[in-house]
Amino acid sequence: MDPAALLSILNTVVGQAAEQAAISGADVIKAGALIGAGICMGFGAIGPGVGEGFAAGKACEAIGRNPQEAGLLTRTMLIGQAVSESTGIYSLVVALLMLFVVAA
Amino acid sequence: MEWTAETWEFVGRYLGAGFALGMGGIGAAVGMGMAAGKANEAMMRQPQQQSVVLRTMLIGQAVGGSPSIFALVIGLLILFKSSSASLAGPEFAAAVIAAGLSIGLGCFGSGLGCGWPGGSGCEGVARNPRRATSVSSSMIIGQAVAQSPSIFATVVALILLFVPVSATGYAAFGICLGAGVAMGAGALGPGIGSGTTAGGAVHGSSRWPRSQAATLRTMLIAQAVSQTPAIFGMLVAFIMLFAMRDLEGDIIGFAKTFGAGVAVGFGGVGPGIGSGTAGEFACRVTAARPRTDALILRTMLIGQAVSQSTAIYSLIIALVLLYVV
Repeated sequence: MDPAALLSILNTVVGQAAEQAAISGADVIKAGALIGAGICMGFGAIGPGVGEGFAAGKACEAIGRNPQEAGLLTRTMLIGQAVSESTGIYSLVVALLMLFVVAA
Repeated sequence: MEWTAETWEFVGRYLGAGFALGMGGIGAAVGMGMAAGKANEAMMRQPQQQSVVLRTMLIGQAVGGSPSIFALVIGLLILFKSSSASLAGPEFAAAVIAAGLSIGLGCFGSGLGCGWPGGSGCEGVARNPRRATSVSSSMIIGQAVAQSPSIFATVVALILLFVPVSATGYAAFGICLGAGVAMGAGALGPGIGSGTTAGGAVHGSSRWPRSQAATLRTMLIAQAVSQTPAIFGMLVAFIMLFAMRDLEGDIIGFAKTFGAGVAVGFGGVGPGIGSGTAGEFACRVTAARPRTDALILRTMLIGQAVSQSTAIYSLIIALVLLYVV
């Protein structure tokens, strides 16, 4: 769809809702980057959280069976969690890029 | 038909009540089904214990069904809410849709979470009928804690319904929808996570009753950690509702508040569920081997802290959106 036509439809629909001044194209781009940063970090945080929790649970189970190896098991858990964390950090970096580079 | 302020109000009422009951009902229904499924399994194995299993199932389902009752009450309030001079037209629609999102997503998690202790409770009383009272009481304690995220969501939904937002223009829509998503989605993961932890604890304390005190202690600590994302969600919702009076009313103000709500809300789903899984394994193993409980508790807390890191990144992004950009 033609971007100008899209913008005019947006102006009619939301402009009527808020009885506000017209929205400019630059505003739409900045708003998209800001909402995008929120979606990026929010959904990006789901996977690492679930995965790291599972690793922690299995580490507790293993330490319960073999408490002598607690040091080794905790170290392995932390290495595994650090790798699982990487996608969360990618999301954080992309969100910060959108906030301070794209939207600036 | 002409699109007037009244049309917006009807759209808002129907969508808001739909979100509240549609999503709020799913979790409790699945959770009660999980309890009933486990009760059937337990009765098949020990048919002579059927009356005590049935009683435990009904108690578990009654407690686990209460989030859907919160959703029903808020849904009816939304459906029959009338507009006032301070809240009408599109602003009214945004507020009631946001209240529906908050209560719907929040009750989804708690209702589903209550299914795990309900199911483990039915298994536990069949396995160990002489200790039915202590198994049921662990089940009810676990379920009660798993319900606190749905109570936070109820509070935010009531604030959205009865306290008009002070910002103007597009920012008012962003604040309402952002606060609803932050609290609703933020309560989703902690509800499920606290429930899985309680399931592990009820299983462990019915199988190894002598270590019940240590198991319940580990359960309560794990549930408290698992609920941090819900508290972050409530914090951001309150900041947006009460401390954003001088936000500019243009579309950028909408993007900032809505983006912050999505970040902190959905960012809490994973850490909530993950910390709960860590707690579930920790409770089971604490019950089986109570002599290693301090070591297990330490490992669980380290693991949960790492798992919470992404929730903290989300909180930071939300605060940067609200105050820096």
